[in-house]
Amino acid sequence: MDTQKITDSDHELNSAEIRLESIGGLGANLAGKMLAEAGVLRMGLNGFNSASYGSEKKGTPVKSFVRLTPANVTIRGANPIEEPDVVGVFHEALFKTQNCIAGLKPNGILVVNTTKTPDEIRKLSGLKTGTIVCVDAMDIAVEEKTRVNTAMMGALCREVPILDPEAVREMIRDTFQGKYPGLTEANIRTFDRGYAEVVTKVYEPDEDVVPTAFVRPVSPMGYKTQPLGGVIEAVGNSILKDLSASRQGFLPAFEVEQCIHCGNCDQVCPDMCFVWEPQTNDKGKTFMFMQGIDYQYCKGCLKCVDVCPTDALSQLREDDIYAQEHIVKHQFPVYQG
Amino acid sequence: MAILEPEIKSMHDSHEKQPDGLYEQVTDFRSGNEMAARAAAQINYHVMGYFPITPSTEIAEYLDEMKTRGEHDIVMIPADGEHGAAGICFGASAGGGRVFNATSAQGFLYMLEQLPAQAGARLPMVMNLVTRAVTGPLDIRGDHSDLYHGLNIGWPILLARDPQAVYDMNIMALKVAEHADVRLPVLVASDGFFTSHSKRRVHYFKNRDAVEQFVGPMPRNYHHVLDPKHPITMGPYMNDPDQINSRYQHSLAMYEVERVYDQIAEAYARLSGRSYPKVEAYKMEGARVALFILNSAAETSKDVTDELREKGLPVGVVSPNLLRPFPKKAIADALAGVEVVLVAERADELGAHGANLTHEIQAVLQEVGSRAKVICRVYGTGGREFYPDDAEALFQLALSALNGEEVASFDYYGVNPGDPDAEVAHVRLQPLTKEETSGFVSVEKEESTGELKVKVPSMRALTGKAKRVAPGHGACPGCGIFPGIETFLKGIEGDVVVLYQTGCAQVTTTGYPYTSHRVNFLHNLFQNGGATLSGTVEMYFELKRRGEIDTPDDPTFVMVSGDGGMDIGLGSALGAAMRNHKMIILEYDNEGYMNTGAQLSYSTPLGHMTSTSGVGPGRPGKSFQHKDMPQLMVAANVPYVFTGVEAFAMDLVRKGAKAQWYAQHEGLAYGKILISCPLNWKAADDAGNRIVGTAVKSCFFPLYEVEHGVTRITYNPEEKDERVPVEDWLSMMGKSKHLLKAENTQVLQSLKDEVERRWMRLKAKHDNPLL
Repeated sequence: MDTQKITDSDHELNSAEIRLESIGGLGANLAGKMLAEAGVLRMGLNGFNSASYGSEKKGTPVKSFVRLTPANVTIRGANPIEEPDVVGVFHEALFKTQNCIAGLKPNGILVVNTTKTPDEIRKLSGLKTGTIVCVDAMDIAVEEKTRVNTAMMGALCREVPILDPEAVREMIRDTFQGKYPGLTEANIRTFDRGYAEVVTKVYEPDEDVVPTAFVRPVSPMGYKTQPLGGVIEAVGNSILKDLSASRQGFLPAFEVEQCIHCGNCDQVCPDMCFVWEPQTNDKGKTFMFMQGIDYQYCKGCLKCVDVCPTDALSQLREDDIYAQEHIVKHQFPVYQG
Repeated sequence: MAILEPEIKSMHDSHEKQPDGLYEQVTDFRSGNEMAARAAAQINYHVMGYFPITPSTEIAEYLDEMKTRGEHDIVMIPADGEHGAAGICFGASAGGGRVFNATSAQGFLYMLEQLPAQAGARLPMVMNLVTRAVTGPLDIRGDHSDLYHGLNIGWPILLARDPQAVYDMNIMALKVAEHADVRLPVLVASDGFFTSHSKRRVHYFKNRDAVEQFVGPMPRNYHHVLDPKHPITMGPYMNDPDQINSRYQHSLAMYEVERVYDQIAEAYARLSGRSYPKVEAYKMEGARVALFILNSAAETSKDVTDELREKGLPVGVVSPNLLRPFPKKAIADALAGVEVVLVAERADELGAHGANLTHEIQAVLQEVGSRAKVICRVYGTGGREFYPDDAEALFQLALSALNGEEVASFDYYGVNPGDPDAEVAHVRLQPLTKEETSGFVSVEKEESTGELKVKVPSMRALTGKAKRVAPGHGACPGCGIFPGIETFLKGIEGDVVVLYQTGCAQVTTTGYPYTSHRVNFLHNLFQNGGATLSGTVEMYFELKRRGEIDTPDDPTFVMVSGDGGMDIGLGSALGAAMRNHKMIILEYDNEGYMNTGAQLSYSTPLGHMTSTSGVGPGRPGKSFQHKDMPQLMVAANVPYVFTGVEAFAMDLVRKGAKAQWYAQHEGLAYGKILISCPLNWKAADDAGNRIVGTAVKSCFFPLYEVEHGVTRITYNPEEKDERVPVEDWLSMMGKSKHLLKAENTQVLQSLKDEVERRWMRLKAKHDNPLL
């Protein structure tokens, strides 16, 4: 039986492969499922969908994989997608902590939820050639009171030839009608706006450019270096982690002039972000003073804003540089050994 | 992938030509867990006794969802743990009806003692084992170590390699289980995550009638304990010389399964168009090298086989669909003429020079006089991915052996030595000093009254006290766990040793190779924290008595558990309480099993929505009232019991201080803190503090303490004129808002009555020290 050619790339199964890079809570898993399901049930294709499963919590990096093939191809493997034709990035901050474009084909498509231009994303992502599609999915989702996933699906359908927008649209309708009927129309609108509001730019293939290869992560710890029984000797080493990609567009802004140093924020913060220092006043008494926020760990829950009795803490729509410019680092007693 | 025989396929096509026929099938896009639930719903089992464990949990969730839509009538019983779930299934099967369950990993092992007992009692049922690693450091991903523990329990085992097979095997399994020549419980094993969570194109019967017709009516001519006209004694006391005869019957039945399975699989193939031979031999004609491998990885290996065959290499894949009984003849036939067999095993039989199936293959080959070389490679444990190039590497290894090269008969595949200079292994925080954690809070016993006087500085001053948890953990934004635990710990001076039971707090702070803990931390299995920390406490005091440990001060021992851990671990916690060890049990209650995806716990309030207590027509969420764990601990007569929330911070700090005093001077202190879970409470990330505060003010979660049996309410919203209706609290969460709708008036009233009844009792206790 002949198999139709569905992409230009050279995958074994003649497949089109899509990888969605996201953080838990943005609906990338559901988006991947709906795209693959639309492929199988409405676009005359065969499909496979899985995700990176662990004990991922909301806000932690996740990946969803969609593999589409001609209908007569048997998809056997369950392995993740390493050389995608398309990458969808649901949260721009992921470029900081994940190699989102790893393995993307030289003529691949990168769709990003961002307020930036394709040129800016090209610089941020390091992508040399291919198509960059920018869509402000967060803004659409905020306005429509939905999640970014359906807006991203709209943008994907606009630029990925194999995806039939009508089929995907109907899949969204079916999915929401079954589970959350009240959200159906808002999600269809979100999809349509994602489709309509893309900014696309093509960067022509260049023979001199080597695409970023996918490198399977190898754990730094191995059978010669792991302490027996899985013990971790490096207590508190989670301070090495950067959790800023967990934020979904907002962070607490701090103005020290308004602060009465009551400690409420510190007490309710789930992520130990507040930095304090003892200071002695002119009467020789020592008090604790709030210095600021270690944004490396802030997930943007805004509980601190909720309990702040003054205007010292307030909600801010996050931009690129605020956290960078206002971060106050914890001075932990770190040592190597 | 099932084999589509050409003739079967044509039959299938003829069914497709009759779309209104009984056996019409629909095409869908589903995961393994969804297909297990679909099959169970279509069979319409009488009873499912279950306890959530990743990655099988979804099966109960999907069934709950389907029940909300009225798609089946299965009575779903949320057990207190897998041991309890297995008991429910045993009892239900003894009652003569159809019984279903699903589990994984440690959950499977926790029920293990029940499983040979049920098989020996010849009580049929079907259980899905969604395979997952069983190991020391907690691993929730897929391998076959749990399955290998099931090889000796006397249950027939069917393997399901993809979501389609999960559906088909579940339907065939019941027929095997109930067959007159078998009468045994049957296991259907599919790969955790690789099959359970990945979605594929599948087909299933459109009408439940087709499935009902195939499995047939439940056989009624067997013993059960619900027939008053024919009373029986099930489960006698049977030693020698009789037991060996019962065992022999069981053994004979196991070997009958091969024949019965063949019949059933053939009949099923005729209806479905999908054929599942006991052993699948892929491209084995002329193969000199075979890869023997189970389930999803066998599928991955087939694509590689195609490629290698195109290059002229004589390779093939052998993978069983029936694992127990071991289909000896079919395997010998499939491997006839093969010179090298590489048995790839996703689990190890440690110390046995090869894992279980390697030895079974060796035995089969020896019996038929084969001189094939058998190589064992343990691969993919703990969920390590199996890529096509891994399959290729294994084939190349076997081909090397074929070419006469030296190849170790047993080894691991896919391990790495590690990087001795890795930053993550070397960057650490200095141990907390006494100065960083002491001198903030004091507790003194007033000799005349026996009352404890607690002195606590301001919250501002307490910001100077070092936290025992470092930043960088992976909990959700707005998680209430750490404010709850850390506020409590602000009351505790000096060094602490913590034990976290399995749950969100454990997995988000200890994702290897990172830890957020700055103090000594210990984790053992989900249900056993009470016992485990008892052992650590007693070891400390004995080492100290013998002068074998040198610590300036006694540490305070704190066990931290979610409400889930206090369900499955209730016995262990009560045991520790009865023995009155010098330790603290701190329960963070987020009203559900949030770590596994928000299933109901016994602490979930009446009517609240979880992923196993759905809300729909005629189903207003959880069907029974919330557990009152503090009062259970009061009944255990421990010296100190308290409740607390982050929203009443100073109250909680003070209770922490008292708990430490009791744990140092008298024995076990227990406290329950209500903490928010914005994700699964369906509330805003910033709302947690307000919600738990409102829960207190509504008297759903009163703040009180019990010292030596004497109750004292520490915050009475009525006296402060701050009491709010229960509705105010319910309206703050998406999981409980529906209770305010007119159709749920009765449920709401019932919850309010229970809240009021418990509050009134508490006030009476507060007023009377003898209560």
